Amino acid sequence: MATLSIKDVRKSYGSVQVLHGVDIELEDGGFLVLLGPSGCGKSTLLNMIAGLDDTSGGDILIGGRSVVDLAPKDRNIAMVFQSYALYPTMSVARNIGFGLEMRGVEADQRKRAVDDAAQLLQISHLLDRRPANLSGGQRQRVAMGRAVVRDPELFLFDEPLSNLDAKLRVEMRTEIKRLHERLGTSIVYVTHDQIEAMTLATKVAVMKGGHIQQFADPRTIYERPANVFVASFIGSPAMNFLPGRLVPDANGVRFAANGVSVALQARKRPADFERPVILGIRPEELKAVARDQASVTGVIDVVEPTGPETMVTVQVGEQSIIARLPPRFAGRRNEPIFLTVDPASVNLFDPSSEQRIDI
Amino acid sequence: MIESKRRRRMIANIATYFVLATLSIFCIGPMIWMLLTSLKYEADIVTQTMQYIPRRITFDNYVAIWTQSGFPRLIGNSLVVTFLTVTICVATGTLAAYAFSRFAFRGRTQLMLGYLIVRMFPAVMMIIPLYVVMRGVGLVDSRFGLALAYTSFLLPLFAWMLKGFFDSAPKELESAARIDGSTRLGAMIRIVLPLARNGLVASSVFIAIAAWNEFLFALMLTTGQGSRTWPVGLQLMVGEFQLPWGVLAAGGILSILPVVVLFAIVQRTMVQGLTAGAIKG
Repeated sequence: MATLSIKDVRKSYGSVQVLHGVDIELEDGGFLVLLGPSGCGKSTLLNMIAGLDDTSGGDILIGGRSVVDLAPKDRNIAMVFQSYALYPTMSVARNIGFGLEMRGVEADQRKRAVDDAAQLLQISHLLDRRPANLSGGQRQRVAMGRAVVRDPELFLFDEPLSNLDAKLRVEMRTEIKRLHERLGTSIVYVTHDQIEAMTLATKVAVMKGGHIQQFADPRTIYERPANVFVASFIGSPAMNFLPGRLVPDANGVRFAANGVSVALQARKRPADFERPVILGIRPEELKAVARDQASVTGVIDVVEPTGPETMVTVQVGEQSIIARLPPRFAGRRNEPIFLTVDPASVNLFDPSSEQRIDI
Repeated sequence: MIESKRRRRMIANIATYFVLATLSIFCIGPMIWMLLTSLKYEADIVTQTMQYIPRRITFDNYVAIWTQSGFPRLIGNSLVVTFLTVTICVATGTLAAYAFSRFAFRGRTQLMLGYLIVRMFPAVMMIIPLYVVMRGVGLVDSRFGLALAYTSFLLPLFAWMLKGFFDSAPKELESAARIDGSTRLGAMIRIVLPLARNGLVASSVFIAIAAWNEFLFALMLTTGQGSRTWPVGLQLMVGEFQLPWGVLAAGGILSILPVVVLFAIVQRTMVQGLTAGAIKG
């Protein structure tokens, strides 16, 4: 168990800079998810923590010890790869025990450790097989066993679930969470799947173009995204964005656009209230109400019942938004619909900088 | 309609087998003839009318070449030179191929191209300069010198072949091994080499055969019995006034025996190695 500090870490290949001064602090026993679209630098960052890539600047500390000049084997970390990277010529047992073998652990002690890890991951019956004779989910477990057996200070996961089918992915996600809670070891986990980030993380770093867009706990990332990119990347269906203006009224301030009028809770009253903004509303925050209570008025475009809920695409002025409504919603195409939204749940963004505005 | 289709197919088959048979005669014919010649009495070899199948068989030619000439010595020298060549190529070529496959360093592409260009020059062009260099360092007429000369044109081939096998071994395996406690070299030896084993065998056999059969360099760079290899030795048995066909043929058969045996042993591995990556397995 250890803390992880990433201080102003930079990476460039020739003249191309792929990471621009990344700062991250992870508490002891924390679960950090590096989240972002492909090419955002998250895997590069993970490889630098592992020591597989050199840093171009900055410092990385694991348990308070600077590791940038250490070889991967001396960093006391374990890594699970996207392709699992099981050694094809070795049995499962030897795969799991390879790290201990390299560190000169005695054979009987090694066997005990391998057996314990195998039991923890329910793969005891597979120990004599070769990786080629395992299913995807089993390989995944072996790869995790190989990491667990070493009892490292830090686990690194590089998109470990992306090669599994949907059902298995959910199962293994739960398994990883259970493992983390049981072992309490700090984890750094790279993914582009926002559900994995939300379910697993204690801290999420959302990345884009080599910059950290927001570093916070998952709740904050979801409810109070730092900018339009984070807001649109997290959540499915994505957050609705409505361009409009802030207008002062008797009770404070309100957001106004074609077909939309939302009274906002303003804590302060700065001078530039009358300005263009983007209103962000999560689909689940919209509720169908009677005409006289409506803050958003539109016309139903598409109704998609999914079982537990109904997704309704609504045309509001020139904008199209999605509302997540109860399963038995009865509206039909081209009928008018009246929606309301809790003012505490909406987000405001600056249209030019796309950064969050707090009022 | 159906009848004509069948006929056309039959004509095509006949043509195919005719071509194949002709080519086979050219490829295998000389070897069979050499085998038959080696089993004939000297008197039956040069005759008025050609005797294809010997009427009487003798092993005298084999006994003669093994006991009355320096042939065992020649074979011994060839074995030593081939072994040295393969050892040098495996030791240095494996590391070179690994570096080419894994590291992005300045001049990598140019260096690899250079390796290819070396192969494009005809060997004859290199012999004189190589001879001068060898004489300068005192390696003319030595088995080690000859092995070095072979390495100069076989190493590029070896490195290129092996690089392909290394390329197909996933990089993540080494990353995993390095995190598990290996050094880079350790990861290469423990993880990548076992994966590229078939390729290593195939490439090694390839250069072993090339070194075993090589004639031109051996002719120029060896002068005495101490380092002469079998292709040169056999050629020198052709005298001004005599041409011992039977003995020469026996020598030829004996010389290709080690190659045949080697092939028989590694055949399966080698074919696997050469076709690796051709289909998804």
